[in-house]
Amino acid sequence: MKKLRLYYEEYNRRPYQLLWRHFVTQQFALFGLLSLLSLLLIAIFSPLFTPHDPYLQNSALLNQVPSWQNGGQVAYPFGTDDLGRDLLSRLMLGCSYTFGTALLAVFGSLAAGLLLGGLAGMSKGVKSSIFNHLLDLALTIPSLLFAIVIVAVLGPGLQNTLWAVMLALLPQFVHAVRHEIQHQLKQDYVIAYRLDGANNLQILWSVILPGLWEPLTLLFTMALSTAILDIAAIGFLGLGAQAPTPEWGTMIADALDAIYLAPWTVALPGLLIFITVLSINLVGDGLRVAMKKRREI
Amino acid sequence: MKSVQISISSLLLLCLNGCQPSIEQARPEGLVYCAEGAPETFNPQLVTSGTTIDAISQHLYDRLLDIDPTDGKLLPGLALSWSVSADGLTYRFVLRTDVHFHQTSYFTPSRLLSPADVEFTFNRMLDHQHPYYRASVEYPYFDSVGWQDLVKHVKAVSADTIEFQLNQPDSSFLSVLATDFAAILSAEYGEQLIKAGQPNLLDSQPIGTGPFIFANYSKNQLIRYRQNQQYWQQQVHLPQLVIDIVPDNTKRLAKLLTQECDIAPLPRLAELKMLAQRPGFVVTEQTSMNVGYWAFNTQKPPFNQIKVRQALALAVDKQHMLQAVYFNQAEIAHSVLPPNSWAYESQLPTTSFDLVKAKQLLSEAGYPNGFQMDIWAMPVQRTYNPNAQKMAELLQADLAKIGVKAKIVSFEWNAFRRKLRDGEHDSVLIGWSADNADPDNFFRPLLSCAAAISGGNRANWCNESFDQLIGSALLTTEQQQRRSYYLAAQQFLQQEMPLVPIAHSKKFQVQNIQVQNISINPYGGINFASTTKSPRSPISGANR
Amino acid sequence: MIWRYLARRAFLLVFVMFALTGFVFSLNFMFPTEAMLTAGVLPANTSANVLSQYITYCQQLLLGHWGTSLATQQPILGEVLALLPATIELAAAALLFSLFAGIPLGLLAAVRKDRWLDRLISGAALIGFSMPVFWWALLLIMVFSLHLGWLPTSGRLSVLYDVPHQTGFLVLDILRSELADKTAALSNAFIHLLMPMLVLACYPTTVMVRFVRGSMLNVLEKNYIKTARAKGLSRGQVLWHHGMRNALLPVTRQIGLQFSSLLTLAMLTEVIFSWPGIGQWLIDSIYQRNYPAIQAGVLVLSTLVILVNILTEILHTVFDPLARKL
Repeated sequence: MKKLRLYYEEYNRRPYQLLWRHFVTQQFALFGLLSLLSLLLIAIFSPLFTPHDPYLQNSALLNQVPSWQNGGQVAYPFGTDDLGRDLLSRLMLGCSYTFGTALLAVFGSLAAGLLLGGLAGMSKGVKSSIFNHLLDLALTIPSLLFAIVIVAVLGPGLQNTLWAVMLALLPQFVHAVRHEIQHQLKQDYVIAYRLDGANNLQILWSVILPGLWEPLTLLFTMALSTAILDIAAIGFLGLGAQAPTPEWGTMIADALDAIYLAPWTVALPGLLIFITVLSINLVGDGLRVAMKKRREI
Repeated sequence: MKSVQISISSLLLLCLNGCQPSIEQARPEGLVYCAEGAPETFNPQLVTSGTTIDAISQHLYDRLLDIDPTDGKLLPGLALSWSVSADGLTYRFVLRTDVHFHQTSYFTPSRLLSPADVEFTFNRMLDHQHPYYRASVEYPYFDSVGWQDLVKHVKAVSADTIEFQLNQPDSSFLSVLATDFAAILSAEYGEQLIKAGQPNLLDSQPIGTGPFIFANYSKNQLIRYRQNQQYWQQQVHLPQLVIDIVPDNTKRLAKLLTQECDIAPLPRLAELKMLAQRPGFVVTEQTSMNVGYWAFNTQKPPFNQIKVRQALALAVDKQHMLQAVYFNQAEIAHSVLPPNSWAYESQLPTTSFDLVKAKQLLSEAGYPNGFQMDIWAMPVQRTYNPNAQKMAELLQADLAKIGVKAKIVSFEWNAFRRKLRDGEHDSVLIGWSADNADPDNFFRPLLSCAAAISGGNRANWCNESFDQLIGSALLTTEQQQRRSYYLAAQQFLQQEMPLVPIAHSKKFQVQNIQVQNISINPYGGINFASTTKSPRSPISGANR
Repeated sequence: MIWRYLARRAFLLVFVMFALTGFVFSLNFMFPTEAMLTAGVLPANTSANVLSQYITYCQQLLLGHWGTSLATQQPILGEVLALLPATIELAAAALLFSLFAGIPLGLLAAVRKDRWLDRLISGAALIGFSMPVFWWALLLIMVFSLHLGWLPTSGRLSVLYDVPHQTGFLVLDILRSELADKTAALSNAFIHLLMPMLVLACYPTTVMVRFVRGSMLNVLEKNYIKTARAKGLSRGQVLWHHGMRNALLPVTRQIGLQFSSLLTLAMLTEVIFSWPGIGQWLIDSIYQRNYPAIQAGVLVLSTLVILVNILTEILHTVFDPLARKL
């Protein structure tokens, strides 16, 4: 039922409601958001819900085909790998590892990026210039290369991959935050605030930060997809999570040995990585379009 | 407009139909063998690794004697005939006089094979004054059989006869000369290199008498050999032999399936059935004398205690490993000697899998709560162990049940072997493939004191009584007597348990159906001297 | 004026190179020191202070003494120079493909916005953009090599061709070799290049499609487009003279920004296809803990990215008058 309007008022939705409305009308973006939320739920709750123990080796059921092929069992919906471990359980737990680690890395990077970017953006002069050029340098080193070097120094493992990806994503965040802050600092309302007597910190907190959310959200989605692909790539190279940890990239590398006998053990983890990154990109694209539409109206 | 569109699209369709590029358009002739690893050197005297031997030995070199693949008897090679003195101390070989050495861009021979070359080959290892002599660890096989203590001298006694004088009789002496390690080098080339001041090139730019001539080597990528048109034994049909180094098993198989490789050794056992069903490929099974084992570093506590070793041996579930690792293409080993050796005794007591007894023995030895240890697993596939990593994981799970926490350690293959030689391991999953038909080949290179010094004894186990037993077996040529010595030796090993024999595996090879006449050789490297390759046809996919 | 601009760029380049060598030098202290000493990278007297060590290190770099590889005991610079052309070949091929395929597709998608062609192209671009490169490579290998048998799975050239290494660029080496049938060798090299190039080009092409589409859409909304149409120019003329030229301006700079991701993906592609380039060498060095090689690899790849960045910035400034702020 429509809201009763006694007086002729202009009723404007709040900005987030507007954004949501524009976002929801895009079917693909909505689909992406739904799948992303379900993946997030799986990532958080998977240790409680896996049908079998992801680490249990069952020598009677090596390389069991998935349930939709001849000879498959519903008890093992995605089949088993070459040591007899249930693939569905491993994929679910792998969601925690790959997706969860990527989320942690991006959040960490975001927080550090806000801090450093804020400092860089608010500073002026030679210090700022040097910092900018160092930042440009950091941006030129390919992220995977940087992550690989860090892993080479610290040693392989999922935790080191987390640090590596966090450090590799940091320059992008710092660059974006700094760029945005400097763009905002040139706006008129900042000058108005300064004339009112606000100092740097107050300006940063009240004026600039709220304006940062939009580009940061977009950057967050892009960074998240990059992080997932990087973590999976490092796992694939054998430098990330070590066997028997069921991180998706590591699972693909392990399953390569049996690719002729059990191709689903290679195809399914890759498919899940693809679906995750696709959902993130759909959401990112949807957000970008929604923000653009919101600005136009 | 529409007609233009139709004609363009039909042209495109025709092109796509007509040019289905199959990979083998007008390629140069030759055989491609996909090897699982790079050779360490081009001189078989310096190594024991099967990978290196496969890549170099039978292609570049010949030996004085050869082994008959069917019955293990000795055949003439570069030596036409031989005689032994009555006391078993003097051996004389009459050499062929029509053998040419290779001619390459870096060496042109001026004479045929002569006894001087045999002298040069073996004096390099015996004579400390020899310009090519290096520290003794550089000849691992010969050191492990005690060559330097065995051979008094090697001398040419006439234009075509060479004499070996031994210090004591050794019934495996002739078998040693028939192994791939006893390749005959060129003395003339050696002198040329000394004059040029580059003796190291003897091992990296080789000259031999074999069916193929060294063309070039791209490190860790490929070895290229050319046909030796003057080969003394037979006509070599292949104009080119390329050893393509592909360490990754999946890639090797992929290259075989796309016909980039003609032969791939060490196929994954799980895929054999799939490969046998594919048209255009042949899976050959070869008799092989090998043993895969788990060796304990007996120099490190707690592995210096017999009870600990026996307890660990009882925790090895060989049946499970046979299924999961060997896919039932092997048999359980109760001794280092495989059943197809003439010295094998089926009456040896079999080992069992008993975790309760294992835990009991451990507590008797003073470790009721177990301990921590490393299991070093090879990163490569070998005939005797197709998947050491998986075997280590199975072992890890079983050991955990008796309280022993095992960590799996691995390195890149060359680094792995180097560290093993330095004795850094607690225990290692490794094995041995026979080089000749003599049972001594399973004892001296693996478990003698000399091998402990030269590095081939992975258990670092040196036991005087054992050495005596296998030494006595060499002093006589009577098979029955030798058998009894070897039986005693094997019983002693079962007591002491410096290593746990796990399985004797079958050896497989996959090749393209166009490749014919590969000599099956259970005792050494692969031989392509008589191989031919028929003209190619485009491959058919699995569903066509 | 242009000299001032170039001088500024050169100064920046020097500054960035110092920072890069400083970073790479600091790796000396993070890697195990015995390894670096044996490789001859660290000077023998580590008692000298850090700054003079750094200066010695830079001198060694410029002289070409990059240390010896722990795995092969060969000088690293030689190995790097032998392998670099292969990576450059692959990256250049992928980049060219992304330009020739991505730009037309992006323009087409922008011009036919929200029709089925745009949806198809954008959808395909999104899918390609989200695909993990190693999975894509495995799929292509399974289909084109193992199932259909059209393309080989690894290497640059069939091993039966004896092409001695001269420049490292395969086309040049084949032409300079003594082979009987050079066209066969060249076509063989081409089919070996095809699949790695397609795998590597997937990401830059999709990025290019999305970027060009966005850029073109931006331009099409501008006022001068409306003015041109109002003046009576046909749609095609407007698109060609005004739309496309302006839309493609930021592409050069985008290439520079994307180059570092391209190199990253090139490393993965080289590992999967056993392409003998710097990427595979670097990854092997990491497995073998070959620290001097890792250091050299990082230096070379980063320098390559920096040079390409600078080149594309200069090109962008040449093409786009608005970007020339001196």
